[in-house]
Amino acid sequence: MSSVTERNMSKPPDFVQGTLDVLILKILALEPLHGWAISQRLKAVSGHVLQVSEGSLYPALHKLEVTGWITAKWRPTENNRRAKFYSLTPSGQRALKDQVADWDRLSGAVSLVLRLGEAK
Amino acid sequence: MKIRHRLSSLLLRVRTLFDKRHVEEELDEELRFHLDSQVEQLLSQGMSASEARSTAMKLLGGIERQKEQLRELWQFRAVENFLRDMSFSARLLRKSPGFTAVALLTLALGVGANTAVFSLINGLLLRPLPVPHAGQLAVLRIEEGGPEPNYSFCTPFFRGLENRHDVFAEVFAYNADTLQVQGGSGNENIRGMLVSGQFFPALQTTPLMGRYLTPEDDRTGGSAAGLAVVISERFWENWFNRAPDVLGRKLVIANVPFTVVGVMPKQFIGADPTQRPEIFAPLSADPIIDAPRNHIDAGINAWWLTVVARLQPGVSLEQANAALLTISGPILHEASTDSSFIADEEKGHFHFAAEPGSRGFTYARMLFRKALVAMFSMCGGILLLACLNLTSLLMARGAARERELAMRLAMGATRRRLIHQLLVESLLIATVGTALGLAAAPLVSRSLGAMLMSGSASQSVMLDTSLDMRVFLFAAFIAVTAAVLIGLVPALQATGGDLNDHIKEGQHASKTHERRRILPRVLMASEVALALVLVAGAALLATSLVRLYKSGAGFDPTGVVNIAFSMDKQQLEGDQLMQIYRQLGEGLSHQPGVRSVSFQFIVPLSDRGWNGVYSAPGGSSHLIFLNSVGPNYFETMRIPLHLGREFQWSDTKDSGLKMILNQSAAKLLFPRRNALRQQVVNPREKTSYEVVAVVGDAKYRDMRSPPPPAGYVPITQDLQKKPSLNAVVRVDGSQAPLAAAARSIAARLAPTIPAPVMTTLDEVLNNSIGPQRMMALLALFFAGCALLVTAIGLYGTLAYTTARRTSEIGIRMALGAQRSGVVAMIFRENALVAGIGSGAGLAAAVLASRALASFLYETSPRDPWVLVASVATLTAIASAASLLPALRAARIEPITAIRCE
Repeated sequence: MSSVTERNMSKPPDFVQGTLDVLILKILALEPLHGWAISQRLKAVSGHVLQVSEGSLYPALHKLEVTGWITAKWRPTENNRRAKFYSLTPSGQRALKDQVADWDRLSGAVSLVLRLGEAK
Repeated sequence: MKIRHRLSSLLLRVRTLFDKRHVEEELDEELRFHLDSQVEQLLSQGMSASEARSTAMKLLGGIERQKEQLRELWQFRAVENFLRDMSFSARLLRKSPGFTAVALLTLALGVGANTAVFSLINGLLLRPLPVPHAGQLAVLRIEEGGPEPNYSFCTPFFRGLENRHDVFAEVFAYNADTLQVQGGSGNENIRGMLVSGQFFPALQTTPLMGRYLTPEDDRTGGSAAGLAVVISERFWENWFNRAPDVLGRKLVIANVPFTVVGVMPKQFIGADPTQRPEIFAPLSADPIIDAPRNHIDAGINAWWLTVVARLQPGVSLEQANAALLTISGPILHEASTDSSFIADEEKGHFHFAAEPGSRGFTYARMLFRKALVAMFSMCGGILLLACLNLTSLLMARGAARERELAMRLAMGATRRRLIHQLLVESLLIATVGTALGLAAAPLVSRSLGAMLMSGSASQSVMLDTSLDMRVFLFAAFIAVTAAVLIGLVPALQATGGDLNDHIKEGQHASKTHERRRILPRVLMASEVALALVLVAGAALLATSLVRLYKSGAGFDPTGVVNIAFSMDKQQLEGDQLMQIYRQLGEGLSHQPGVRSVSFQFIVPLSDRGWNGVYSAPGGSSHLIFLNSVGPNYFETMRIPLHLGREFQWSDTKDSGLKMILNQSAAKLLFPRRNALRQQVVNPREKTSYEVVAVVGDAKYRDMRSPPPPAGYVPITQDLQKKPSLNAVVRVDGSQAPLAAAARSIAARLAPTIPAPVMTTLDEVLNNSIGPQRMMALLALFFAGCALLVTAIGLYGTLAYTTARRTSEIGIRMALGAQRSGVVAMIFRENALVAGIGSGAGLAAAVLASRALASFLYETSPRDPWVLVASVATLTAIASAASLLPALRAARIEPITAIRCE
């Protein structure tokens, strides 16, 4: 019976969340940015294909910070307000590389499967 | 790298835990910045201010909701849960103070006793000497075919070894000694050590001031600058008041001036961990310091040195032993010209050997190892008992809490989480109990140490029982083991059952419970068994102690005081000295309450001895133990005088040698003959003694050995020039004023001697059986604790299970069960457990008591009466503990019990 309870408590894997993590890592790999700038960059880069709600940005950022993939520093912005700038840590860089490789493998495999279907 | 990131992320979380406000502010500022930027953007796109604001809010999903989400993320789940469990457990434990007190006390007792004994073991057996590279030290011994190797060397052997630098960097010898140092008012006895030239170089400890002694100092007459000594920091403090100009000052030791050349720091204790010498003097000064004795000229007749070496770097113990084997023969032949001695030694395959010496050397180790190990096992037993008991109690309590736990499981708590919480509870008990025990440990170990060491021959055994790293690790190990032992089983048990059953059935009696009640019963039975082993052991030791006391010493020690005079360094000798003793005796006999006064050379039961081979003329030779005693000795000691007369002051050397035999010696030397006025001869010394009396047997070296055949010679005919005798004084009433009187009489008659030392013969007797007495007292104490703990355990578990069966009992009674039947039913539960436990315990006790055999005096380790009495005691206690819950169950009112449901 206890296994039932545990199964109820675990969540389904969050596909969107995972994708958002990689995108953030990729953006921060270029330069350190604050949350607002990241959201702007996300919009610009992903365009209309990926709709990232702003509500899920900060939880993702903070989760990455707790994990130790990114680190944060308070710095003044161009118009002299204090903002929290995030940057990639070495382990974040490694994670990005791994995830990109995983993504490539997955997308490769998926497109392979899809093409197989077409060929028949 | 990975670990570093783990660590930094951990630090981040810990920070949030303790710096909640700051984190909150940062969250707020970050989100507000985002919101403002968004508003600005929307404004620039032409939105109105209020519209922009509400759109921005909507986009972000509400500041408070965001913050809530983020806060969740930052929470340090594990630690917060732990803290919550902690306070919950503390609250729970506070709510049942009886249970908590019992749990803490039993555990504190177990941990305290274990740690105390462990710190004794640590101090005596484990702790390395506080010198650099102690691992290179090796203790040397002599193998000569005896059952035990010999660790005492004579001077020629040591000097032969001293310069073997092929395998040893240094070889040194030392002897703990009492030095007579001239102080403001006559001489004082100071603990010191005679050390050979390489002692200090080998121990590699830098002096606090000045220099240490070198081989130059270890020569007859000292170095070119004269005789030198090194003093301890404590002596520098007490004697010289830490005077900065102490170097070069003179100390008059045994009436000869020595120059202080150095001060050793406090932590330096030499190579014997049980000694704290105040003065280190060169070995070669022995003829001065120990005058009139001379251990150096005595050659192979004085076995007085402990020899330790420091190995050459890179040389192993095996290599050292091989080298020692080849040089043993030549050194033996060089040491003596006595061919019978050499032949004797060679017959025993005489050779030197080396063994690891990082912990130094002390005879105390051999004396007390067994007692300490026995004590340690007893303490371990008590700790195990405490743990078993707590496990049973927690398990019974867990059973009573089944409903609560089941409810929490049903509401979504994971099993892991509940086990965590139960473990935290036991961890809390274990930690607090261990802390209590640890706090008491130093005090306990100091008094245990004092009790243990008081029985040793030299009363100067010191032991460093302070808590060090090793003791703390041991205590921590005990605490964690205890916590897991205590907590895990009940936790698994309490959370393992079927949810629905617990919630539905509550207090109902149910078949499924039967299986789960086996484990508690096994635990309780082992507890009873363990308690029986401890009780039986204690009963054996106590019986043996009582028999030892009852066996008597052969003299009446009560009311007799022993006053030791050190006469070896004053000027008078022979008959003149006897005159001083006579006057001392007369002075003492005029003190109030004094019944009679005499003198003795050897204090009986002090583990010292003196013997010789004697025979009746033409008869066979026998080993006879000797003592020289004064007039009125047997009256003072109340040793029965069967035939003849006491010695008199007129029995001088000119009046012919006299001897008094005890009954055993008289029977041995003159079987079926009257020994009185016979001659006893010493074939080796060619002397002849007239037997003037036959007296009762008395114990000699210690209480355990039966009285040996013994002979007494008069002090007036003593061969020593300056014997240091003990006055024995039988006093009525208070003995305290006698000490001051003895001091003033001695100061008047012999002003240069150190203040006489007074002890009572009762103390001497108690010291003689110190280890036995301590073992018995300790065992009784532990047995008492074991009985108490077991009683509490039996009572507690039965009370809990009975409480859970209230409704069942109510139904039984409603259906017509008699109250006596209910009592019997409840009582039977424990009777079975106690019966099985006693049986197992009895078997274990019979096996384990064999280890006690060497501590027992005229008591068989399987003494049936003792075993029967132990079982009876335990049964009585167990019955009493089980009867209470049974009687309470019988008072249950059927109606109320059933209504309760």
